[in-house]
Amino acid sequence: MRTADVLRLVTRALLTARLRSFLTILGIAVGIAAVSLLTTLGAGLQLYVLDNFSQFGSRIVAVNPGKTQTGGIGGLLSSTRPLSLDDADSLRSLPFVERVVPVVQGSGAIEFGRRVRHTDIIGGNGEMAAAWRFGIAQGHFLPVISGNSQPLAVLGSRVKRELFGDAGALGRFIRVGGERYRVVGVMASKGQMLGFDLDDIVYIPIDRALSLFNRPGLMEIDITYRAGSSAQQVAERIRQRLIQRHGVEDFSLTTQDEMLSSLNRILSLLTVAVGALGGISLLVGAIGIVTIMVTTVQERTAEIGLLRALGATRRQILLLFLSEALLLALAGGLFGLLLMALLLGVLALAIPALPISLSPFYLLLALLLAAVVGLLAGVSPAWRAAGLNPVDALQQE
Amino acid sequence: MRTADLLQFNLRLLLRQRFRTLMSLLAMAVGVAAVLLLTGLGEGARQFVLNEFSLLGSDVLIMLPGRKETSGGIPPLTGEGTRDITLEDALALERLGSVQRVAPLIVGNAQTHVGGRSRELLTVGTSAVFFRLRELVVRQGQALPVIPLQRAEPVAVIGSNTRRELFGHQKALGAWLRIGDRRFRVIGILDDRGESLGLDLSDGILIPVAAAQQIFNTQGMFRVFLQIRPGSPMPQARNDIQALMQQRHGGERDVTLITQDALLGAFDDILQLLTLGVGAIAAISLLVAGILIMNITLISVSQRTREIGLLKALGASARTVRLLFISEALQLALVGSVLGAVTGYGLLALGHWFFPLLPFVVSIWALGAALGIAIATALVFAWLPASRAARMPPVLALQGLAR
Amino acid sequence: MIRLVDLSKTYQLGDQPVKALDQVDLAIEAGEYLSVMGPSGSGKSTLLNMIGLLDTPDSGRYFLAGREMNALNEEARAAERNRRIGFVFQAYHLLERLSARENIELPLVLAGMAPAERRPMVDQIIKRLDLDSRASHLPRQLSGGQRQRVAIARAVIRKPALLLADEPTGNLDSHSGAEVIALLEELNNQGITLLVVTHDPAIGQRAARRLRMEDGRIIDDSGATQPPSADSRHAHR
Ligand SMILES: Nc1ncnc2c1ncn2[C@@H]1O[C@H](COP(=O)(O)OP(=O)(O)O)[C@@H](O)[C@H]1O
Ligand SMILES: [Mg+2]
Repeated sequence: MRTADVLRLVTRALLTARLRSFLTILGIAVGIAAVSLLTTLGAGLQLYVLDNFSQFGSRIVAVNPGKTQTGGIGGLLSSTRPLSLDDADSLRSLPFVERVVPVVQGSGAIEFGRRVRHTDIIGGNGEMAAAWRFGIAQGHFLPVISGNSQPLAVLGSRVKRELFGDAGALGRFIRVGGERYRVVGVMASKGQMLGFDLDDIVYIPIDRALSLFNRPGLMEIDITYRAGSSAQQVAERIRQRLIQRHGVEDFSLTTQDEMLSSLNRILSLLTVAVGALGGISLLVGAIGIVTIMVTTVQERTAEIGLLRALGATRRQILLLFLSEALLLALAGGLFGLLLMALLLGVLALAIPALPISLSPFYLLLALLLAAVVGLLAGVSPAWRAAGLNPVDALQQE
Repeated sequence: MRTADLLQFNLRLLLRQRFRTLMSLLAMAVGVAAVLLLTGLGEGARQFVLNEFSLLGSDVLIMLPGRKETSGGIPPLTGEGTRDITLEDALALERLGSVQRVAPLIVGNAQTHVGGRSRELLTVGTSAVFFRLRELVVRQGQALPVIPLQRAEPVAVIGSNTRRELFGHQKALGAWLRIGDRRFRVIGILDDRGESLGLDLSDGILIPVAAAQQIFNTQGMFRVFLQIRPGSPMPQARNDIQALMQQRHGGERDVTLITQDALLGAFDDILQLLTLGVGAIAAISLLVAGILIMNITLISVSQRTREIGLLKALGASARTVRLLFISEALQLALVGSVLGAVTGYGLLALGHWFFPLLPFVVSIWALGAALGIAIATALVFAWLPASRAARMPPVLALQGLAR
Repeated sequence: MIRLVDLSKTYQLGDQPVKALDQVDLAIEAGEYLSVMGPSGSGKSTLLNMIGLLDTPDSGRYFLAGREMNALNEEARAAERNRRIGFVFQAYHLLERLSARENIELPLVLAGMAPAERRPMVDQIIKRLDLDSRASHLPRQLSGGQRQRVAIARAVIRKPALLLADEPTGNLDSHSGAEVIALLEELNNQGITLLVVTHDPAIGQRAARRLRMEDGRIIDDSGATQPPSADSRHAHR
């Protein structure tokens, strides 16, 4: 039989029982819409989070004090074997290492004249902006120096606005934790990252930050490396060097690669999980197709007998009914995608910040899923139809 | 028609069309079971997390060094401020009228040695008060002694895992261990309470706060826990504490006070929203089941056109005919929902049996919502086909010509 | 053209075996016109279904155009039905949702013929059976006689060698019935082998060869008549 004829016969059958077909399609459509909407939102979230994390670049290895990283806050805790500035400096000579940034973070009062702002203070060095890929809006970042530093500060855009308004900040003196600092730069705006305002930060030299917070050691050392080496190799060299200096492994290493890929894994899993939740509706929709197809086969038994008498093979009968289920499901899939587009549109209007990423691949996947559902749901009724004895079937009313 | 007759009439029909009936029941049951299972899991997870993190009473405030202008954001968790919270601060806070107990806290990782063994352990410098605030139970020996905060008494209380790791089968109580270059005598071993989240003290070691200051070479506290005196209102106590700290820190407000409830409240909200969300997603399947019931009722009406004509000829009113079809759908929905509820709770109970940590929660609202939605959808979706049957002119219906 | 040897078929009715066909022997030449009569349940339909390859015998052999049919699998039997055999039923068995034209076209569609190729064939048969004005009507818009004409058109659209009609007039009034029989006989005159099962003695008598069945046996066979002319056989091969 020709494909066009199969399609014509099947559509005719579906159109004849219009309301029934529509309701069956609607059932699948709701399921497909649920699955595709949820996975789209999940994938959007995944992209958003990964984007947020990979904005710092991917060739980064972080060293934190402490072998055990309790709940990921190991760097914040005190340590009997702190990471020192000398530790950080010692890493510069390693092959492929590009930049080494010692980090300590705390909070304190920033004063300009009579204005005060309590906010985050990050201690770093002149390489920090480049290593973290932070842009400078005015002036320059902390200078790259060796030895003792000058009391210089760089302001996040929010801090600058709060303290100076529209007035210029470069060259002005501010107080950070009571000490006088000269403003040498203002950062470009970075926005929020997972609830943390990246613009509400003041950057000062690391040695001054350590004494300001009265802290014996660093919270973290970030190392970026040149292309041509793998994260593992660089991490291994860092490990060797620090063990050599400390005698034991009393620190932990995280590569951005690892972090991103494990984050990616978790988020993918989450996306699949919510998609699967939506899949429950699809399952019920599939039950609908099975029920309707079985009823259809029952009602059209005499017709099946006739077709067999006219020389239709079992395969052709199977094909006809399977196509019917498939067509129902595909129509459901298309309708479902339409429904999803509609809901996404409404969602995007209601929550403009929502990260939505529509990929044609996933849309095709949704249609494929619908097709698979149709085939699975249709196979048993179609099989039943094909297996009917033509003589008995003809006698059915 | 009498209800008993109606039920029996429907039952016959449903049994005749066994496959269709079974599938509708299955669809409804899947929907209801999914709603109950997912909300049950969500609610269970919520209670689990709340139990696990609720280590401090609601009358305990947590003080962090440093402050950030923007309230409502992430508090300054790093524990570093430009001015330390000192032991003297802690002592002064203790003298406040509205404060009952104060437990200063220094937390760090420290290399600990016993004989040839060496482990990096979570080391908490604190005082005896901490034991009462967190209701720590000492299985063997005693808690940290009640001594002036400034005294670096060389004693330690260790967690149960720490005991195993460091001492193996040897006797731990009374033995000496070394942290950094200082020696401590083990005076107590904590009960194994299986606290897994937050700070896991079974892998830790507790020493007097002054001793921790020495081994970590630091002055400032990481956190200070403050228990409010019973009867004194929380806002009042907050103000007192802030005022005292401001006065002691040269007129600057540079500490942050949070309650555990505030921290958990955000958690609780998120988890509740999540539970509601997954429940709603599952409830979509009930909508699909409703559509299926509508479809099946339609088919039932069209296949039983002659029967409708006959019933009308026998004197059945339009109302009775409608009731016939609606009650059929309702019966399906009810039986399906009950099956689904039993399955859903069965699976939850099974889950609880395999993972006893997960509480088994029967939330009445979820059950009510699931059953309510199931029955409402059945009613709404059966209405159209039933009305179609009710409207059929008897003569045409008898000839099977009505549509 | 058709040879049945010792053909038997037993059905299980409840726990009671029913011999629907009991060692039937029959030979039919191409172009013959047969009627089959007999009481209800005597096995007439079963015989027709056997010959039409819709049913399979328990024992015995069946040769169609010299080939043993019992050896064929189900797919091959379907192909044979499509190519060589046309069916006409008492209940018409038209697809309600398809127009008369589309119903007639079905065997060609099943055979996978291209639309351009099948259009002239359908046009021709519609013209021949006087269905022009009804071609686009749905079955329920047609009278019983018209419906059966559509069914006959469908049965012969592939120019089969064999036309099997199971009580084709059973649902019709006598006038329409006579028209249908006249049409079938006309087709037979053009060379098609015709087998008609009927309850109506008047119709049964018209056939050149008359079979009578009882309890699954052929108890009376008026015998083969004169062989059909060679040229008319050609027309329907
Ligand atoms: N599919 C079947 N199952 C059981 N018994 C059957 C079946 N088909 C026919 N029969 C029985 O076989 C016998 C012959 O039937 P049939 O050929 O239809 O008779 P006729 O067409 O002469 O009335 C009858 O007794 C009938 O009950
Ligand atoms: Mg018969």
